[in-house]
Amino acid sequence: MSKYLQILKISFQQEFTYRLNFIMWRVRNVIQILVFFFLWSSVFAVQGSNYFGYNKEKIIAYAFLLILVRAIVMSSRSVDVAGIISNGELSNLLIKPVNFFKYWITRDVSSKTLNIIFSFFEIVILFLILRPNMFIQTNPLQILLFIASLLIAAFIFFCIAMLTSFVPFWIPEISWGAQFLVIVIFVEFLSGAFFPLDVFPKLIYEFLRFTPFPYLIFVPIKTYLGVENLSTTFGSLSIGLVWSLILWILMKRVWQKGLKIYEAVGR
Amino acid sequence: MKKAIVVNHLIKNFESIEKGTGIRNSFLSMIHPKKRMINAVRDLSFNIQEGELVGFIGPNGAGKTTTLKILSGLLYPTSGFVSVLDYDPWEKSDHFLKQISAVFGQKNQLWWDLPAMESFELNKEIYEIPQKEFERNLEELVNLLDVSQLLQTQVRKLSLGQRMKMELIASLIYKPKVLFLDEPTIGLDLVAQQNLRDFIYQYNKKYNATIILTSHNMKDLVDLCRRVIVINDGELIYDGALEELTQKYAKDKLIKVKITGEVDIKKLEEIGEVKKLNFPEAVLSVPRETVAVAASEILQNFPISDLTIEELPIEDVIRMVFNQRKVFSENKA
Repeated sequence: MSKYLQILKISFQQEFTYRLNFIMWRVRNVIQILVFFFLWSSVFAVQGSNYFGYNKEKIIAYAFLLILVRAIVMSSRSVDVAGIISNGELSNLLIKPVNFFKYWITRDVSSKTLNIIFSFFEIVILFLILRPNMFIQTNPLQILLFIASLLIAAFIFFCIAMLTSFVPFWIPEISWGAQFLVIVIFVEFLSGAFFPLDVFPKLIYEFLRFTPFPYLIFVPIKTYLGVENLSTTFGSLSIGLVWSLILWILMKRVWQKGLKIYEAVGR
Repeated sequence: MKKAIVVNHLIKNFESIEKGTGIRNSFLSMIHPKKRMINAVRDLSFNIQEGELVGFIGPNGAGKTTTLKILSGLLYPTSGFVSVLDYDPWEKSDHFLKQISAVFGQKNQLWWDLPAMESFELNKEIYEIPQKEFERNLEELVNLLDVSQLLQTQVRKLSLGQRMKMELIASLIYKPKVLFLDEPTIGLDLVAQQNLRDFIYQYNKKYNATIILTSHNMKDLVDLCRRVIVINDGELIYDGALEELTQKYAKDKLIKVKITGEVDIKKLEEIGEVKKLNFPEAVLSVPRETVAVAASEILQNFPISDLTIEELPIEDVIRMVFNQRKVFSENKA
């Protein structure tokens, strides 16, 4: 266990050396939230209006939760894996007695911790500036379910990030291209990071529920807000759990296949 | 003695896509990739006993590094059998990985933005080295490579040679039983090269470690390896003692003489090919079988103060081995 603690420690130090990168990344996050906030504030400008089952308090809570949920789910170091596969640096990891997946989960944990701390301050500052009327969840069961949904979300994101990172095993030149497409377009758009997914027509929404994406952002936030009844929430979490399992198995398989054709170039 | 490394009928093929040069060809290769099979290793077999220090020789692209990568578990063999310390390297079990170390040229296991010491500390945990042992090993390596002032410097600020030394420390700090050293002296200054050679020699003796070393630096091989394995085009062409390689492939020997008076070069050339003439010294190349006759003839008929018979330098022998091989395979084709 202490080996992963040491990896955690060194990861933190590494993150600190990239202060500017990190700050830029946080700025991007905050801007995205501000856009979301102002857009929806104007939609709900009329007092007491209610769209798609959201009132103003809840949509503002959605915006603020986005900061936190994104920090927990989507901040990660494992997006670097594509690069190290294509340039051959992966070899250094493979000849060490460390578990590849545990190694990257550990590095993700360091990145997530840092992002959570920052997002917390951002939330407080934005709260003081914008002074919104916000919905605060007090039901301990909902909070517990929220935490469970976050764990599932983080895990699904890890698997998706890994799977897209493995593309360079077959197409070494692609390195970050596949990730950009999958993570930015599909994951961000279909996960609810831009808008709550239930604004989609019902048919599309029902279809999306059976993809892994809503379980990254939308489902955790919904769980926090407690806008659905418990059985729907449990249903969502179960689908999320099934996806975690499917993606985990898929990721392991693809990894094993990829290693077999890995060429360990450049060393 | 125990066999540390077994390689049996090893074959490794890569599929590569030919890109061609220029924009037009790059574009064409995108639409219609031309695939080509590369036979990096074709039917290679050898055994290495525990505690042996073996030199691995071959021209660029001969398959040395590929073989070492298979032995360290990085590449999956196309066919054939390999085992290292009775492990299948491909399985990458922790027990196996803790006992081997692979140093591939300028590889980079150090954390670029942090002082090298951080990477060593990390390896201490990864390889589960007890604190006392870690300190002892670190001190030994740091003194040997003379880098004690650089431990707290960010790796990115080190020079190539300094970084190489740090890489070596990181690779050896856990005292592996089997070492794959691919060009370990590359980028090192002469003093550090010699220190490293001495260290590899001692390390091999002290810990009975099994070491495979590739190098284009002949001094590395001559100083360290009694046995060499020569491969070319992925095939084994020689496996045995370094001296015997010379005897087997060098058809000629060198006679070095010190001339004291007038000498007719033409007459000297009747005895053997004059390789060098730098008065008062001359070097003649003479067929191995007739070297004794030639020597006595020179002593009798020429004004000479000194005469020695030597083998060809190892560089020349190896160049001959490679060239011979090329001619051979061209004939075959």
